[in-house]
Amino acid sequence: MLRHLFTLIWNRKRANLLLISEIFFSFVVLFGLGTVLITAGKNFLTPRGFESAQVWRLLVRAGQGQKMPRAELDDVLRQVKALPGVQTVALTSNNLPFTFNTNNSDFVYKGRKTPFANTYDADDHYAEVLRLHLREGRWFAPADDGTHHRPVVITENMRQYLFGDEPALGKIFRYPMVVKNTKPEHEFQVVGVVDNVRMTTEFDEAIPSVWMRLLPYDTTHWETAAVLVRVAPGQGGALQEKIARTVAGVTRQWSTEVRVMEDDRLHRRRYTLVPVVGLGLMGLFLIINVALGLFGVLWYNISQRRAEIGLRRAMGATGAGIGWQFLGEMMVVTTFGVLLGGLLAAQFPLLNAFDLPTQPYLLAIAAAACAVYAITALCAWQPSRLAARIHPAVALREE
Amino acid sequence: MSPETDLRQPDAAAPDRAVPVLRLRDIEKVYQTKTIETVALNQVNLTVNRGEFVSIMGPSGCGKSTLLSLMGLLDEPTGGVIEVDGRAVTSYSDKELAGLRNLKIGFVFQSYHLINDLSVVDNVELPLLYRPGMGGKERRQRALAALDKVGLNARTGHFPAQLSGGQRQRVAIARALAGGPEIILADEPTGNLDSVMGEEIIDLLLELNREQGVTIVMVTHDLQQAMKTQRVIRFFDGSQVG
Repeated sequence: MLRHLFTLIWNRKRANLLLISEIFFSFVVLFGLGTVLITAGKNFLTPRGFESAQVWRLLVRAGQGQKMPRAELDDVLRQVKALPGVQTVALTSNNLPFTFNTNNSDFVYKGRKTPFANTYDADDHYAEVLRLHLREGRWFAPADDGTHHRPVVITENMRQYLFGDEPALGKIFRYPMVVKNTKPEHEFQVVGVVDNVRMTTEFDEAIPSVWMRLLPYDTTHWETAAVLVRVAPGQGGALQEKIARTVAGVTRQWSTEVRVMEDDRLHRRRYTLVPVVGLGLMGLFLIINVALGLFGVLWYNISQRRAEIGLRRAMGATGAGIGWQFLGEMMVVTTFGVLLGGLLAAQFPLLNAFDLPTQPYLLAIAAAACAVYAITALCAWQPSRLAARIHPAVALREE
Repeated sequence: MSPETDLRQPDAAAPDRAVPVLRLRDIEKVYQTKTIETVALNQVNLTVNRGEFVSIMGPSGCGKSTLLSLMGLLDEPTGGVIEVDGRAVTSYSDKELAGLRNLKIGFVFQSYHLINDLSVVDNVELPLLYRPGMGGKERRQRALAALDKVGLNARTGHFPAQLSGGQRQRVAIARALAGGPEIILADEPTGNLDSVMGEEIIDLLLELNREQGVTIVMVTHDLQQAMKTQRVIRFFDGSQVG
């Protein structure tokens, strides 16, 4: 019977072409949506590599046209750290987790160039505040004060890009630009390797990252300073006010903004999910349209094929058999559409499109195929039941 | 007993021909709508013996096609009993009736009812698709043999649209034959054909009846064709009249 159905559909390929196209496009849309959702979902479930709970961020501004000397900034940090309820304080660059600021660069080691990696400035307490997990070596420490090259800590995936499976500690890499007389501080010596981190959004994959040590004796005058504060559980608005007063106490010209990192995370989550939900709704709308179209086409097909149904009943088909046949035909048509869509979708992992691993693509192909089969089966169910109920004697007399 | 006219072979009561293959007892068929009740068949009693070629005649709307649908187990009577090979089939399930149709009955229709998107041989294979346990190879062999019987073995790969009316009806006969049925029910098989082609089809049916022993019940408006069969049963207003 299956061969008969394939023969029938193949011989009716012109009539079924639009139906097959509709199924093909549905498959492609579902595949695209599936890839986005599966990738995002998989990333979401992957550990973030740091802890954002009970972490606040302070943005200290020196004021319009003003600069803050590092010594005064260090004084602010000391006083904030001394407040009851504050556990640790770290100075860092403005590209804080879950914010929209990004610093990145590519690097090179022995001619091996990395993709763009996120770069962060971090002091010796940064790892403690964010509870980064060290895999090799150590975090920055006063022992690094006298080093010739700038000490850095890298993530595991950055280590893979730079050194492959070789040990990373002590190795020196640099920016890819070849500059004569490159200063030692523009070369980076690895002192530690941490777990991969996902600091941009909860749905992004882990981007290779490099933390460069902020020197304590840095004499740069800053306009703004980003500070991470780990607080004890249960701290809230009262401590935030104290922190703001403490900063203002050091110098009245400086302003402070205190934000909770968990709020930033949720805000970023919403911001990321809005287009995904929009895409999902568009996909859903499209699928509903396709489903209604399929339903109409099948209904029309059955009304056009009443005589054939009567004939098949006369030849020995049962009512249920007719219903299954129409359902089977729809599944065969779906198979043609899915095969075409699958052929297109298979190009994505083969061509390594969007630098995604193969697994989400394969899962998306399987999910899209299942969804398309389910939708078409659902659409074909009622018309097939209708076909099964057609009275053979009446159907045969109609032509 | 019902009036049945044996025109051709009064001595047809040979032992093998006297076996009833199809029997209708006190058959009534009433079509009922909200406002109208139409009696299509009224107290029909009819026996068809194995190997017979019976014609049914009557004006349009007299219930001939309804009778054929009942004989073909495509419809249920409002009253009365249908027996196939001596067994009442009135209480049979849809599945049992479908199996009986597939094994015992072949259909030939006025408008051929070929599936235009299937080749000639695929059309002929159709009843065999519903036969459990039959493989593709055997189906194809039987379909080709049936086409050979009707002289269309050179047209197996053609599609119905590429054939003349007479050829299409031959395909329909081959399809009816492919399952090896005991009975062929032909509903005005020459109704859409010119006289020459019509004659060819009647000759073919007569040959199948004579040489293969296939029982045939044919509805026709053509008295000359009816006279070539063994028995003519006449209907008027849903009742047998001769």
